[in-house]
Amino acid sequence: MIQMTHVFKTYPSHISALSDINLEVSAGEFIFITGPSGSGKTTLLHILFCAEKPTSGEVIVNGIHITQKGLKRIYQLRRKMGIVFQDFKLLQDRTVGENIAFALEVTGHVRKEVKKKVSEILGRVGLQERKEDSVLSLSAGEKQRVAIARALVNDPPLLLADEPTGNLDDPITLEVMEIFKDLHHRGTTIVFATQDIDLIQRYPYRVVYLLNGRKVNGSA
Amino acid sequence: MISSSLYMIWRALRNMKGNLFPNLTTIAIIGITMLIFSSFSLIAFNLTAFLKIWEDKIEVIAYLKKGIPLSEVEELLKNTRQLEGIETVKYVSPFDAMAFMESKLGGQKNLLDGIQPGVLPSSFEIRLKKDFRNSTSIKEVVSLLNQFPQIEEVQYGQEWVENVSAIVHIFRLTQWVLGGLLLIGIIFITSNTLQLTISSRKEEIELMHILGATPAFIRVPFYIEGLIQGLLGTGLAILFLFYLYYKVLLYKVFFLYVTPSMKEWLAGIPILFLPPDRIALIISGGMVLGFFGSFVASMRFLKYRV
Repeated sequence: MIQMTHVFKTYPSHISALSDINLEVSAGEFIFITGPSGSGKTTLLHILFCAEKPTSGEVIVNGIHITQKGLKRIYQLRRKMGIVFQDFKLLQDRTVGENIAFALEVTGHVRKEVKKKVSEILGRVGLQERKEDSVLSLSAGEKQRVAIARALVNDPPLLLADEPTGNLDDPITLEVMEIFKDLHHRGTTIVFATQDIDLIQRYPYRVVYLLNGRKVNGSA
Repeated sequence: MISSSLYMIWRALRNMKGNLFPNLTTIAIIGITMLIFSSFSLIAFNLTAFLKIWEDKIEVIAYLKKGIPLSEVEELLKNTRQLEGIETVKYVSPFDAMAFMESKLGGQKNLLDGIQPGVLPSSFEIRLKKDFRNSTSIKEVVSLLNQFPQIEEVQYGQEWVENVSAIVHIFRLTQWVLGGLLLIGIIFITSNTLQLTISSRKEEIELMHILGATPAFIRVPFYIEGLIQGLLGTGLAILFLFYLYYKVLLYKVFFLYVTPSMKEWLAGIPILFLPPDRIALIISGGMVLGFFGSFVASMRFLKYRV
């Protein structure tokens, strides 16, 4: 699903964010990317969804060479992945249902289909009753569930999560993790960036440890 | 395709509703600038129409030298009719001229008592063919008439024709120079308002990029917004111009300041409003300008985030 070969990322101020990263993620795999703040976790995810270009190296995601030029390739790639952020990135002036529908609308789904898919996905994340509520009225855990629902509504084979539990307390974190676990069982490939070592230890998934932009020896 | 187009229009309207004040300001500014442009267009259009009517009515009068025998007058009449561009030539004898003056003076015709018809010159009233009723052709015909030795003087109101033509030319020129300046202004204004709209919808646009929206999907609603701003601004300008034309110019101001004799003279010359094709052209122009404004803004601020 993901293949990163000798990937470097250096910012114009000569700060090295990633250095010689080689990583392979198989289809259906769940992988944790961890490391302290500034270790390069977010940069790595940004490269995977083309928010940043690597300085050098090759990256193939879902069969698409993202290091090659072409705008079309970028939005086609993004349509085949879901992305979940720590700050949720929900539209504050819309309802729960509208936020999820947005992901379908921007990819050209017809209204009838949007309605059906939104109801289905809300059922999966346990928010069916809150469809018409403003996102402003939700708790942090509920907001993250909406964000996950929005990322999943297009049935992407790959889900990238950047510190999705960073703003949540323990019981809510576990609730959200249950959703990720369920997705994994359904066959979705998940790349999960987190600093939470306790969380990582609770699950039997592969862990890649980054330090100063490098993969630490011994991590998978 | 239809549902996607409707969705984009819906999004454009939603964007406009969400940024009501900047949008209303842009529409008002487009309206004012297009009002200035269409006012000049209206004046130029009416002056052109006036010139056409006036040129249509124009007659050339050739005054003959005194004492020319009638046989020579007949020969001259024949030669004049053969000139290119002449439609009709009517001979007006001194007696006819006197009768005309008497009819014009009406109750005051006694002013002419003691004046003999012989003091008035005989003349030819010459009407030109339609294609020759313009200042250039009139001048050519007049120069040919002046070559006849029997003709004393030729009059056709040359100053009027030249002055009105010059005024029409100035208005047309001003209209286009002004149009050019307004074009730049409108693009600048629309572009800046859309910049505000884009800034206020930054999160939504960022999310669209993340979710894999196509560049067209992101930009088209902003283009539609520019088109709508142009349509509403120019439409309002035309409506307001019509109000000014109908309520103020035509009835209240214009006829208030003209003398009764002028009013009588003007009665045959209607004051026109812009014809539908000209209105459609101005509105389309406003929409195109609105579109270009949004296009410039989208090129600057809606680059696909990579």
